[in-house]
Amino acid sequence: MRLNKLLLLLTAFFLGAKVTLADVAEGEKLFNANCTSCHAINEKVVGPALKDVDKRHNEAWLIKWIKNSQEMVKSGDAEALKIYNEYNQSVMTAFPQFSDGQVKSILEYVKTGGAAPVQAGGGATASADGAAPTSGEGFYSQTMLIGLSIFAVILLFIIFILVNIRKVIERIYNEKFPEELDPEDVKLPWKQNKKSTRYKLFVKHPVVGTLAVGAIITLVLGLYGFDFANKKVGVQKGYAPVQPINYSHELHAGKYKINCQYCHSSADKSKQASIPSASTCMNCHMYVKAKQKYNGQVSPEIQKIYNAVGYDAEKGTYIEGYKQQPIKWVRIHNLPDHAYFNHSQHVKIGKVECQSCHGPIEKMKVVSQQRSLQMGWCINCHREAKVDVANNDYYEKLHKDLKASNKDFITVAQNGGLECAKCHY
Amino acid sequence: MENKNKYWKGLEELNNDPKFVAAKKNEFAQGIPLEEVLTDSDGEMQSNRRDFLKYFGFSISAVALAACNNIPVKNAIPYIVKPENITPGVPNWYATTCGACSTGCSILVKTREGRPVKIEGNADSPVFKGGVCATGHASLLGLYDNERLNAPRKDANESTWETVDADIKKALSSAKNIRIVSGTITSPSTKKIISEFTAKYPTAKVVGYEAISYAALIEANKRAFGKAVVPSYNFDKAKVIVSFGADFLGTWISPVEYTKAWAKNRKAEDKKMSRHLHFESNLSLTGSNADYRFPIKPSMEGAVLLSIYNKIAASTGAPTFSVPTIEVALNSIDLTAKELLAAKGQSLVVSGSNNLDNQLLVAAINGLLGNIGSTVDLDNYSNQVSGDDAAFEAFVAEMESGAIDAVIFYNTNPAYSYYNADKFKNALKKVGTRITTNSSTDETGELCNYQTPDNHYLESWNDAEPKVGYFGLTQPTITNVFNTRQVQESLLKWAGNTTDVYSYIKNNWQSSILMAGEEAWNKALHDGFYLAAPKAVSSASSAPLANDIANKVTVNYTTNKNNTEIKLYSKIGLGDGTHANNPWLQELPDPISKVCWDNYLTIGKVTADQFNLKEGDVVTLKAGKTTIEGLPVLIQPGQANSTIGLAMGYGKLIGKVASNFGKGLGKNAFSLVGFENGTFTYNTASGVSLTKTDDGYELAQTQTHHTIEGRNLLREASLDEYIKNPSAGNNDHAHIISLWEEHDSKGHKWGMAIDMNACTGCGACVVSCSAENNVPVVGRKEILNSREMHWIRIDRYYSFKNLATGKPSTKEKEYNDKNNKIDFEHVTVMHQPMMCQHCGHAPCETVCPVLATVHSSEGLNQMAYNRCVGTRYCANNCPYKVRRFNWFKYRENDQFDFHFNNDLGRMVINPDVTVRSRGVMEKCSFCVQRIQASKLKAKIENRKMVDGDVKTACQQSCPADALVFGDMNDPNSEISKLFKNERKYVLLEEYNVQPSVGYMTKIRNVNEPIAGEQKAPAKHDEKHEEHKAAEHAHS
Repeated sequence: MRLNKLLLLLTAFFLGAKVTLADVAEGEKLFNANCTSCHAINEKVVGPALKDVDKRHNEAWLIKWIKNSQEMVKSGDAEALKIYNEYNQSVMTAFPQFSDGQVKSILEYVKTGGAAPVQAGGGATASADGAAPTSGEGFYSQTMLIGLSIFAVILLFIIFILVNIRKVIERIYNEKFPEELDPEDVKLPWKQNKKSTRYKLFVKHPVVGTLAVGAIITLVLGLYGFDFANKKVGVQKGYAPVQPINYSHELHAGKYKINCQYCHSSADKSKQASIPSASTCMNCHMYVKAKQKYNGQVSPEIQKIYNAVGYDAEKGTYIEGYKQQPIKWVRIHNLPDHAYFNHSQHVKIGKVECQSCHGPIEKMKVVSQQRSLQMGWCINCHREAKVDVANNDYYEKLHKDLKASNKDFITVAQNGGLECAKCHY
Repeated sequence: MENKNKYWKGLEELNNDPKFVAAKKNEFAQGIPLEEVLTDSDGEMQSNRRDFLKYFGFSISAVALAACNNIPVKNAIPYIVKPENITPGVPNWYATTCGACSTGCSILVKTREGRPVKIEGNADSPVFKGGVCATGHASLLGLYDNERLNAPRKDANESTWETVDADIKKALSSAKNIRIVSGTITSPSTKKIISEFTAKYPTAKVVGYEAISYAALIEANKRAFGKAVVPSYNFDKAKVIVSFGADFLGTWISPVEYTKAWAKNRKAEDKKMSRHLHFESNLSLTGSNADYRFPIKPSMEGAVLLSIYNKIAASTGAPTFSVPTIEVALNSIDLTAKELLAAKGQSLVVSGSNNLDNQLLVAAINGLLGNIGSTVDLDNYSNQVSGDDAAFEAFVAEMESGAIDAVIFYNTNPAYSYYNADKFKNALKKVGTRITTNSSTDETGELCNYQTPDNHYLESWNDAEPKVGYFGLTQPTITNVFNTRQVQESLLKWAGNTTDVYSYIKNNWQSSILMAGEEAWNKALHDGFYLAAPKAVSSASSAPLANDIANKVTVNYTTNKNNTEIKLYSKIGLGDGTHANNPWLQELPDPISKVCWDNYLTIGKVTADQFNLKEGDVVTLKAGKTTIEGLPVLIQPGQANSTIGLAMGYGKLIGKVASNFGKGLGKNAFSLVGFENGTFTYNTASGVSLTKTDDGYELAQTQTHHTIEGRNLLREASLDEYIKNPSAGNNDHAHIISLWEEHDSKGHKWGMAIDMNACTGCGACVVSCSAENNVPVVGRKEILNSREMHWIRIDRYYSFKNLATGKPSTKEKEYNDKNNKIDFEHVTVMHQPMMCQHCGHAPCETVCPVLATVHSSEGLNQMAYNRCVGTRYCANNCPYKVRRFNWFKYRENDQFDFHFNNDLGRMVINPDVTVRSRGVMEKCSFCVQRIQASKLKAKIENRKMVDGDVKTACQQSCPADALVFGDMNDPNSEISKLFKNERKYVLLEEYNVQPSVGYMTKIRNVNEPIAGEQKAPAKHDEKHEEHKAAEHAHS
């Protein structure tokens, strides 16, 4: 009985510990996604530094405050009013969508002081550190390939030896029993054997032979060259240049789920999706400095933005009279001058996902060109993509005609999407 | 088959010159320029087979190596702080006022990522109604002229604003006599700033100087009506327009405004048209568009005017004057007087002369006819031009006497344009402080010790009051390219006022123009103009003519009767030479002669024969004390006999384009300007002689590049015929059998209609197209090789019309007979814009071996540059000769140092249009980039396209609204309606290539039929002796 109780207690303890660890990870995720634009743990940003927040307020109060601080201010809560006035009456965003548990987990994370938990359920932290799981796969396939190659070489060697052994035995046998040798079977070297094709080709008609061989070589090389020119020349598929700032789409678009068009704001209204100006970065990075990862220092990558715009991270102000330095990103997706591409046509009208052309951008630490961007690739999509005639009044007449002819859809190609002057002018 | 006028483009074609005929047998004037490429600079063919193999081998390996290279790293550099109103890739439009000349047209400027790339007309403007002239379009390129001064200069050395300001302030404060020599200023704020300046420096006075002066017009109105102004002319209210050498559609006062108004009554809508009569010496753009054109010598103008005045006066009971009988074409005086009298109060007489007597007569005639207050508005007058020639003369004398201490030149260059440049230069040397604000070093700038460069108008805040009550605002569309400062700011600084120009103008507007606050200012800034309530228009009769006027015009007429006279004129585009450094304008063919990159003597055939001159001869011209050497001769049909025309604005020695890299480009004609009776005169009759030299000179003329082979491309009818039969002149339709399957086009089908009645041939569309479509400038040498690149050209055709019988001369024999002297004075002209016709069954498409030019479902003839391998079969097979081949790489090539050759010049490139490379064909695309952009706009706005959504570059700013573009599948579009009009025809219908461009038969408001019955043989004016002789010889 006592033992049972002890067991129960132990189980509860371990379970509890496990829950706590999981909470911290969950809390970190939530904190990073929702809080970092105004709060840091160890320093004052827009809102107060959160270190020891659990000691300043009790948990129930904190849950209430986080879910809807304004309500508390209005109700006249003394503690709430004090903070509200202290921070120039700026309103803290309400998070009514959080469950109590979620708020608690955030608080758990805050308690740890922002240090990443030592051991947690895997997921979040591991993916933040590196791409360990995928690299393993690569390793195995490589070893496998090398192993197989060695095996193949050994097999070939064995075949070679066996063939040689057979030849030696045959020679010895023929020398031993020359009477058994059929004169018909005597193998002349091909240069003397007038029946052999090789003789006919290279001795009797050397020109034909040379030409034939030449033609074969040319054909092979030509095919290779054609393939090379077609697929490689000017094609930058896989191009992943080093950028001036080690910016990770995986972190921003993947982990924090920032909408693509928050930064690439003109994708739905312009030819260019546009690379965000440094001031757009500053919307968040005025506060998000990732100090917890760099021993209290501003992340050196984020510092590059500050250097560009002239922002003093310590004082939290822009430096007056600073000579701003534009960030020279390296362009990855390059279309030639004679091809006109308009993002808004594809994003807004065609409703094409960014990923269709740019690949799984939300998983890329370093952006690389995923598609060939060759004309054939464009055309293929134009052949398959359907025009959304029903939901745009521009296509009113086309839609009517389609309905009249009992057709369900029309592809971009059928609507003239393969014509030269749709992209080349 | 109807009998047709014979049309011809030039004398070579008319006379079937063997050289011309031989040259025209080939599609391209010259073969592949291998020699040029392989020849060393000393001109000898150095290359041989070995060299060929070397080049060949090198090319192969170079190509192979190049192909293996990785694409170079390209950077994408975003804004640090993105301006809120700029979306990369989306153009921003700013309403502003054109500053290319003092006319002050309201324009819109398209900017991309903060750099202006296109100028268009502001269609909301009630005065200019969306038109822009060629100069206005091209002034955009002036912004990116890398020869503009990059900083202020002191004694020709680069300096800083602080230094020059301090120096100038010091000099001005100790100066006893200060003069500001300025061109026309229409800006109320600038005037106010100048008054502040003169308040600070009381000895300062403004001297108005215009190279092409309107002093006589202003003085005449002062004497006749007591108002020293340039009136506003309402061409749209005039049923009868009579012009004496006033090129109001091309270069006179406010051509865009006048063209809009003129064209309104010229489209034969409701079968009504105004009638336009024109007296002039040189064949001008306006003269070429007149219903009746009468060639006269400049010295005859006064006598003709007085004769007309007498006839009108006789019928209205005013006093008449004695005038000699004038030998002028036919019944022109009777006809003009009759027409004018029939349209009293609805007629308009204008003169381009700067002779006070002539302008007084014009004022008197308008007064007699009751036109003041209806077609001539002296109350809401124009500020667009000015001139006080006597004051400038006095100023030069003052300088000579050493009385002037300091002079500031604003927007004027007298060292180039003053007739006695040496006198001016010597006088200027006596002035201690010489300041110029011109934005690049010019002839005057070279002599100044301070150069304080003005901004380009696209970088400036400014305003304008082109006409009383019509205000325009100028706002910057780009930050300063160079370290320049606008004149207004300089003057304020020197006057000790530290207000910035923006605040100054804003305050001035709010306090004295708008009389309202922020909202009104913002609206004016948004609109680009502000229209105050117009003043009440009063009618007036002119003061009686002085009695000595009869004597003066008679003397002028009789003394010069047998003299050869020179008439100076200004060309569309180049004007007084201010824009001579602009390659777009230099490459724009003259609307009449179709010559680019030069000025030359225009001489009529008869006069040329008298002087024993032929086209391409080089002569030395002497007139009084002036001698100009090395002038090429151009035989100009329509030129009045015994007159010689010469364009001003050429012969500059500064500016790489203007001076053809120092080699000289044309001759400066300003030295022929005279000063008589208080005004500059632009014609001279005293002691004109021409001496032929042994040299020859070929003019770069685009008209000779093609021949029409007598095909039926031009159709015209008289208004009477048209009223009787709406399809008059357009009955000849081909019987068509089609070999091809019809294209089916369900969506859009784009087409264009061109109204030959409205098109004046001004060339605004040509420059607009060049700007929109990145058309390269190729230069004089390449034009001579027939390699111009313009996507739209305006073909100009002459035909003879016999004024005696009113019948056209049609007989082929008549032209080919060498002994038959034809009346070259009286030619009629037609202008025909020509661009890719986007044929339904395009001949170019069927011959392209690589399918680089194919048809689109929207009716466009598409050109895929990167597919083109340059066989030029398409150009060979194009019946309209509109395809252009890139013989060279025109960008980043020092052989073509125009604007594609430097970083700054390339800022003008339209980023939505490919810059073509060597070896590919190109041609008009119907501005497909605009079509695509408009379609996308409609899709984003979730709506159907409406008529007028797409406006091509040529159409948008056509001052005459001659071009209409639209969807032929939309039954309600304007184009569909026009295509149903009886006047519509297509070129070379018999080929059944089904062009998408339709032309509207030209209707002339003349009394006699044009192409009707052809019974009577052509007879020539019997007053001309030589013609009589020829007739005899012929019969």
